[in-house]
Amino acid sequence: MNPMNLNLPHLHLLLNHIPTVGTVIALGLLATALARKSDALARAALELFYGVALLTLPAYVTGLATARILVDIPEVSAEAMARHHDAALIGSVLMLITGGLAWLALWQSRQGGGHKSGTTWSVLVFAALTLATMGGAASLGGEIRHPEMLVGDPTTGDIGPAWLRAASIQALVTDYVWLWPGLEALHFVGLAVLFGVIVVVNARLLGLMPAVSYAALHRLLPWGALALGLNVVSGMLFMIATPEQYADNISFHAKLVLLVLAGANLLYLTTSDGPFRAGPHQPVPAMAKAMAVSAILLWAGVMYFGRMLPFIGGAF
Amino acid sequence: MRAPAGAGQRHFSMDFIELLEQSAPMVWLREGGSLWGYPAILFAHTLGLGTVAGVSTAIGLRFLGFGRKIPLPSLQPLFSLMWAAFALTAASGLILLIADASNKLASAVFYVKMLFVILALLCVVRLKSAAAMPADPVSGSNGRLWALGALFCWAAAITGGRLMAYLGPIG
Repeated sequence: MNPMNLNLPHLHLLLNHIPTVGTVIALGLLATALARKSDALARAALELFYGVALLTLPAYVTGLATARILVDIPEVSAEAMARHHDAALIGSVLMLITGGLAWLALWQSRQGGGHKSGTTWSVLVFAALTLATMGGAASLGGEIRHPEMLVGDPTTGDIGPAWLRAASIQALVTDYVWLWPGLEALHFVGLAVLFGVIVVVNARLLGLMPAVSYAALHRLLPWGALALGLNVVSGMLFMIATPEQYADNISFHAKLVLLVLAGANLLYLTTSDGPFRAGPHQPVPAMAKAMAVSAILLWAGVMYFGRMLPFIGGAF
Repeated sequence: MRAPAGAGQRHFSMDFIELLEQSAPMVWLREGGSLWGYPAILFAHTLGLGTVAGVSTAIGLRFLGFGRKIPLPSLQPLFSLMWAAFALTAASGLILLIADASNKLASAVFYVKMLFVILALLCVVRLKSAAAMPADPVSGSNGRLWALGALFCWAAAITGGRLMAYLGPIG
């Protein structure tokens, strides 16, 4: 067994505060921005939502790893863990939708015309829903090891709609044999679309198509973001169906770290001024060039450690 | 008594495939357990196909009306990048094929996949000329059908490639 495993529950206790605390702060910032009609403040809030959504992924994965360790401890209730997992899953899905909408709002404001109020308000609504669910997930998580905080019986009552529970998703992927290969094919198509958009946009920053303005290529980014969203969904389905393949897999941990960094890099490409200085036949700032190199390396790294799941991590 | 004409030939080619498959480099690739062996070739194939199919998609999206401020003729350097990525995909694919030739050559999915790869490449070649000489500089209407074709064929080829891991040899 990998000695790293010992740290994963600690990491979960650290990361699990981000989706709740981060959402509260970002929600406050966004409400203030809307009240003051401040575009700069709104941008900061939206960027924070996107960052919190990214960090929700490692919070979720370290949770799966923690559950696999706690399941062997007799006084820990498996039902309490399942309920915490189901609540955290709904919360994570809502958080990822919030982060995706925040990204869209940031992209739209870069396409001109300032922040679209429709998207910004939908971020606000989904953030509130996320907070309500994540708050519940947090208290259910606390009850796993702190029965003194119990209000009522933790083992009764189901969380959320039946189809969104971890156990139902697990059963679905096991029952339909074609679902796993189908999702894999979709995951690979998504990988290609995302990487292709990343290569094309960054090729301009590295000098390949000097006649094209960066602003024109920026129009293609939502297709990359859509593919990323699809791959997060299919990836989460793999992970929920067979957590034993991923939760303690060192190659998967490396993939996740690089994914968070690559996600941050995507934010740079979406909102920063640097790359936009590259008009037709205009020079590219050194910082934008460095970020372009890191974009390609990071996404290639995400693919590498994904492909290495069976070889470095011993999955499947 | 003479053997039927085709029999000896078939025997020879099967022997040859087995010879390649069992050659020292291929055995090392499969069984050496090094990350520089089979896993590295597999990654090279993924990186290559991701670039070729992905850049095709990005160019296809331009023809389908997204990013109309991107001048079509300026896309030409991307095609050179795609040929380079395709060379990587084809070379790594050939090695993966030789390493497991008797299984892969007996798999119907493999031939379907290769058909879609060829069709997709054909669409990309037509897209290249449509980008070089667009009928309409903004819409690039003469490339729209080839763009859809490339998108569909790459998705089909990728799906076929994935399914090869699940669907075994014919009958």
